[in-house]
Amino acid sequence: MKAKNISIYLLLVLFVTAAGCKKVLNEPVLGSYTPGNFFTNDANAKLAVNAAYVPLTFTNPSNNTIWVLGDVASDDAIKGGNAGDQSDFMLVNQFNILPTNSAVQNVWAQYYNGIFACNVVTDGLAGNTAVSAAVKQQVLGQAEFIRAYCYFILTNCYGAIPIHLHVETPAQAQKPRSSQALVYAQIEADCTAAAAALPTTWTGADIGRATKGAALALLAKTYLFEGKWALAATTAQAVDALGVYSLLPIFSQNFQAATKNNAEGIFSVQHQTGLTPFQGNNLNQWFAPRSLNGYGFFYPTQSLVSNFEVDNGVADPRLNYTVAQAGQPYFDSAFDPTWTTTGYLSKKHCQPLSEIPASNKGDGNLNYQAIRFAEVLLIEAEALNESGNSAGALVPLNRVRKRARESYLYDSTLPGYPVVPAGLLPDITVTDQSQLRDIIRVERRSELALEFHRFFDIIRYGEAYANAALQPNAPAFNYTTNQFFPIPESEIETNPNIGTIVK
Amino acid sequence: MKKTYSYFIIYRYEKGIRSTAKLAFAFFLVAMVQFAVYANTPNGSNLVLQTDGSSKSYLPSKLFPNHAQANIIVKGKITDASGEVLIGASIALKNGAGLASTDINGNFTVTVPENATLVVSYIGYQTQEIEVAGRTQINIVLKEAGNNLNEVVVTGYGTQRKKDLTGAVSVISAKDIAGIAVGNVSQILQGKAAGVSVTESSGQPGGGITVQIRGIGTINGVSPLYIIDGIPTQNGINEISPDDIESISVLKDASSAAIYGARAAGGVVIVTTKHGLPGKTKVSASVYTGVQSAANLIPMANNTQYIAAYNTAAVNDGRPTITNALLNSLGTTPGTYPLSNTDWLIALLRPANITNADLSLSGGSDNTNYLVSANYFNQGGLIQNSSYDRFNLHTVINSTLSKYIKVGTNVNMGYSKTGIVGDGGDGTNGGASVVRYALFRTPGTPVRDPSGQYVSLPEQDQSPGGIGNFLGDGYNPVQLAANTNNYNNNYDVLGDAFIEITPIKGLKIRSDFGLDFSLLNNKQFDPTFGTPANDQYQGVNGQPTQTVNSPSALSQAQTNTLNYNWTNTATYDLTLHKNVFTFLLGTEIIKNDIQTTGASTEGFVNQSSGFQYLSNGTTTYDLVSGGETHYGLASEFGRINYQYDNKYLASVNYRHDASSELDPSAQAESFYSGSLGWRIDQEDFMKNVKPISTFKLRVSFGQAGNAQGLSPYPYESLLSGNYYYPFNGASNQGYTISTIGNPNIRWETNTQTDGGVDLGFFRDALLLSVDYYVKNTSNVLLPEPLPPSAGNASPPTINAGKVRDQGLEVELTYRQVINHDWNYSIKGNFATLNDDVVSLGGGAPIAGGKIGSDYITLTQVGHPIGSFYLLQDEGIFQNQQQILTHAYQGQGIRPGDVMYKDINGDGTIDQNDRAFSGSPIPKFTYGMTANVQYKSFDLSLFFQGVYGNKIYNQVATDIDGFYRPFDITETTATKSWTGPGSTNTYPILSWTDAPNNTQFSTRFLESGSYLRLKNAQLGYTLHPDALKILGVTSARFYIAGTNLLTFTKYTGLDPEIYQNMNNAGDGPRGAGIDWGTYPSARTITIGVNANF
Repeated sequence: MKAKNISIYLLLVLFVTAAGCKKVLNEPVLGSYTPGNFFTNDANAKLAVNAAYVPLTFTNPSNNTIWVLGDVASDDAIKGGNAGDQSDFMLVNQFNILPTNSAVQNVWAQYYNGIFACNVVTDGLAGNTAVSAAVKQQVLGQAEFIRAYCYFILTNCYGAIPIHLHVETPAQAQKPRSSQALVYAQIEADCTAAAAALPTTWTGADIGRATKGAALALLAKTYLFEGKWALAATTAQAVDALGVYSLLPIFSQNFQAATKNNAEGIFSVQHQTGLTPFQGNNLNQWFAPRSLNGYGFFYPTQSLVSNFEVDNGVADPRLNYTVAQAGQPYFDSAFDPTWTTTGYLSKKHCQPLSEIPASNKGDGNLNYQAIRFAEVLLIEAEALNESGNSAGALVPLNRVRKRARESYLYDSTLPGYPVVPAGLLPDITVTDQSQLRDIIRVERRSELALEFHRFFDIIRYGEAYANAALQPNAPAFNYTTNQFFPIPESEIETNPNIGTIVK
Repeated sequence: MKKTYSYFIIYRYEKGIRSTAKLAFAFFLVAMVQFAVYANTPNGSNLVLQTDGSSKSYLPSKLFPNHAQANIIVKGKITDASGEVLIGASIALKNGAGLASTDINGNFTVTVPENATLVVSYIGYQTQEIEVAGRTQINIVLKEAGNNLNEVVVTGYGTQRKKDLTGAVSVISAKDIAGIAVGNVSQILQGKAAGVSVTESSGQPGGGITVQIRGIGTINGVSPLYIIDGIPTQNGINEISPDDIESISVLKDASSAAIYGARAAGGVVIVTTKHGLPGKTKVSASVYTGVQSAANLIPMANNTQYIAAYNTAAVNDGRPTITNALLNSLGTTPGTYPLSNTDWLIALLRPANITNADLSLSGGSDNTNYLVSANYFNQGGLIQNSSYDRFNLHTVINSTLSKYIKVGTNVNMGYSKTGIVGDGGDGTNGGASVVRYALFRTPGTPVRDPSGQYVSLPEQDQSPGGIGNFLGDGYNPVQLAANTNNYNNNYDVLGDAFIEITPIKGLKIRSDFGLDFSLLNNKQFDPTFGTPANDQYQGVNGQPTQTVNSPSALSQAQTNTLNYNWTNTATYDLTLHKNVFTFLLGTEIIKNDIQTTGASTEGFVNQSSGFQYLSNGTTTYDLVSGGETHYGLASEFGRINYQYDNKYLASVNYRHDASSELDPSAQAESFYSGSLGWRIDQEDFMKNVKPISTFKLRVSFGQAGNAQGLSPYPYESLLSGNYYYPFNGASNQGYTISTIGNPNIRWETNTQTDGGVDLGFFRDALLLSVDYYVKNTSNVLLPEPLPPSAGNASPPTINAGKVRDQGLEVELTYRQVINHDWNYSIKGNFATLNDDVVSLGGGAPIAGGKIGSDYITLTQVGHPIGSFYLLQDEGIFQNQQQILTHAYQGQGIRPGDVMYKDINGDGTIDQNDRAFSGSPIPKFTYGMTANVQYKSFDLSLFFQGVYGNKIYNQVATDIDGFYRPFDITETTATKSWTGPGSTNTYPILSWTDAPNNTQFSTRFLESGSYLRLKNAQLGYTLHPDALKILGVTSARFYIAGTNLLTFTKYTGLDPEIYQNMNNAGDGPRGAGIDWGTYPSARTITIGVNANF
């Protein structure tokens, strides 16, 4: 071959390379879905909404610190544990709370993560035709419910907060805060849409997903918190009217692994032991005493224990179902008073060693009962009483009390079983609105104790109630400044508009 | 202790020492042979020499005057090629004394034997040997020495004569790096070129090395682009042998680097490997071997000092002290050991071998040349189970097929095996530093118990009156190292084939295909170890025995990288009268495919090496992972070099790059650069300025890009399926967006202006090159933080922010030939660096250097990247009065505690009182090599240093902090505050005050400046004739030392640190934090280079 010829070929090669080999630039994304190719079928749409449930779990209680803001901040529990361990949680208890407090930062991050995953779903399904209408409806309904649930927790904790309804660029994401009224309006809208979209029950492998009842119950609770008494009452009644919820015979069955996803659970955050990747309830380790391989956090207070009724010398059975103390077993172990500085430990969220051995302590098997039917009844009672129908309020209130005392009929471990001790938790007959209000508050505190709701109830009951409840143990508590936790430092640093509140 | 240590060296290194002794004996034998040759010659009885027929006298005439020869008077004149007389040129007798030097007219007169050989030398000229052969009048014309301005320098896609260069290019040649005992090519760049900063992350063999050219440039760090024989590669640089290197060009400024466009922002390092030369087959062998040892160990408290300090602290804090009764009971009470006095650094850091052997064959005919070389390098680690072994096979064939066609291939195959021990960090990101554990461990427990078992955790009897945990709770570092089993096996093929056509004069068309295939396999086995259950010393009071890594675990990961490039260039040289043009046009395609797989399992029943396979795990689930990414780059480029009358130089460069990493709608960008040069020395008015032989001005300006640190698909949002939720007890996967993309993402742009001057004096005996540059990096890639309320997806990377680096670079060479026996040269370089963040695109300052949950560096506008941001240590509170008048530091502050400065003046010391306290970036770096040759001896000294950087001595917060039962430094043990006026530096010994005293502050920030005698070599070249019997044409023996001397104020183990494992993710924003670094070894080697 002549060199000249070769050179001509080579020159040709040069130009061909320059012009034709742009193929090397065509490199599709490998190994990952993009928003553009993910929402292409029913199965993927369901996978997207599954992710939205994950931030609600207690697989890591140091991330999901709602137990700190809901109960450690309240008069029901103190941080517990070793003195220096998680000192930020102690500072919450003392109302010495900085924007950098990890409990404050983590609830914010955790529940906004849930909202983000919901927004991925609502954005991905907007105008989508690849996913079937039926699945689209179910999936959107779940996303709307979880978004509402997260916003409800967030606005209870922080008041006016930014509302994010889409996946945003960083510039778009620098949202001002919306007033609590606007947040409530958003929650109402999402709950209403979810209630319309979701089925009343799920079966089989879908049990645990959000239902119509969950959306309605959350809506009722939102109305209650807004003081929309009539709407709260009718919505709570609508939950009852679905006909699928009832109070369990024994109160403690709500907090046992054997009776997960029961007729009283309206929305349960699911946990399961023994799964890979880990999906267990880690509160089982955080709240258990150190000698049982727990971390020993979360001691119930005397104030909580004193809230439980004692009638004719017999205590409300919910006390021993809720709180462990000297003289009573701690599940299948003997209670050791050195475990706790208050003398009490929480039994809710914890399991016996026979179910979860010490070596596997963190992999608990209890769901978190986010909304129970008993709470819906108490919402109805409170809403009816506040709207002037005190007599009507007694009906749901006494249903709750009846179940509590009639635990004696079904629980063979209770002394005197199967006879309800005389005079225990009698039906309430008071119809004076003010007196009944107090009775309902006491009832609510006992029924829902240590379920991470108390602080938000205290705050909505008003300044006088809050001061009376909190100042004895936290003199620093100031209703004006402490009714909401501070906006976290991490948000302040990254969102220049956070100081603005949109009314 | 000292005695034990030396015994230890001898015992452990008997083998090494024996082989060293053998080599030394061989050396001695050869020397004896040579001496015998000398000794025999005067009698004319050496037949070997006589048959050689050489007429040259090689004997020192003074020693052995030859009475057979008559002396004659020889006169002459010495001039240069242009007829200019040379004044002061020296005339010497070969192998003998200097005789005379030329006078003002260039004339000389000497009296010598009539068959003598004269040696004529003059600065800047080639030394000549003249045989007198009875002549009495000899006029000598000296040729100018081939100086480095005439050198051909490899530049981007071509070569240029150094004197025609208009950019800033540093050149390192094979002889600059000979005999330096390091395993890695990037390491040998250290201190050799101005503006090229090379830092080892640790002294671990095969450890990471950071190379930065002209500063950090960007928030994320940028490493240079390496081109090895035309193949762009990142990993390949670690897989070739330093022995194979012919030359290295470092392209620093925009005009020289920008021909590489989007990848050139970090500068370009072009490595050219050796190739064959026409001629007889040449065989070269070089071998060195030696011993490495640890130096500059931190003096730690011995047991007496430790216990005394412990008791002082106990008294200060109102805690029980260690009683003599307790100490006496140790060793007799079950569960305790007799008190020992272990220096854990000495126990851990053992001497180790280093060996390098290289054999090469090369040669060729006029048409074809070849080279085949093999290299073996082995570096043992100062810590057990750390090591680096590398084998290389390098073959080169170039052939001229016809007048018009050349083809060639160049293949380097490499295999390396790296044993890795934890060498930085506390274990939160990768292996915890074993050295750190050695610093923590208190001296009171032995390495092994009397039965020879390692002592794991010191026993801790916490019962009342028990021994407590004063013996500490750290791992036994020797045991930890012995149980480390983590190896990287790397298989690498780096190869290139080309065809080059010269169809018409001046035009060259070349097509190159390059390939870099590497397979990296990591295998890490973590055996369960600890105090065995049957140990008589096992726990007291029911304390569990310590077990580490339970269950045992094995993980394996493999990364296959296939990187290939197809590069086509056409070069055309055109001369039109005094105008000389060189045109370059080219295209290039680069493709990079990476596949990863990984698997791990746990619970090995049998932990022995024969069972360390994934199949032998017993765990019910195995973790597997895998992925693949592809990357493509398509480019066109061009360049015009222009020269007018050898005086005026200009070049323009252009490159158009399109990358698959950018959004498909806008993948391409163009980069331009240009430069001008003026060779003032060629101007007529300079003709009479004699001392100045070279005078050139250069300016350049241009742009280059960088996208390092970008994920493969930065323009696209990605979903992850790493979410699981158990509906009704069964695991369900969930997907959501985990990364938010930015479709507008572009390359970082680096705009660099460089001005330089090259000066040569005295016929270029003294060469000086000075450059000043300003490098502005804009569109810096920054993660744009999302507010937490927008979810926790990884934020998109955006182009914002500006960084400016500027600096002055000086390179200087001085060569002096005094006479035939003596010559010396000095090469020095010096570079300043000023790094400044100009903008962060309006974003918040970026924290880095995480320690625990806090960050100690801050990258903020107006400061260098990764500046330390700390509380300011103001000394020690000497009395209560001072505490009361000083800003409030918290409860429980007492005299003897560290006092911090109230920066914001609010009367309270808190995190708002942190201030910028310096940066890990040196203010200047320098290097200097001095070579002296006297007859057959040569000596070279290479110094290297940095100045003005800071190191945060993190490990000192633990070993000086004294808040846990860790060992402390001798300084802390003996110099701590004991009362008013005792010291203003070292606080009171106390646990309870440690939270105050060990706050992240300037107390632990130290100067990182150092000056190191990096290499010293003494060589002896045997006389060729002496070796003829052995068939050796030349041989040089040498003894060399690496890291022989270090001048530094730094109190840690090694000031040469850059990045630790904990902060690796932060890049330059987490540099200069010492977690207990693996120290650089001091190495003594002996070696020989021989040609056959």
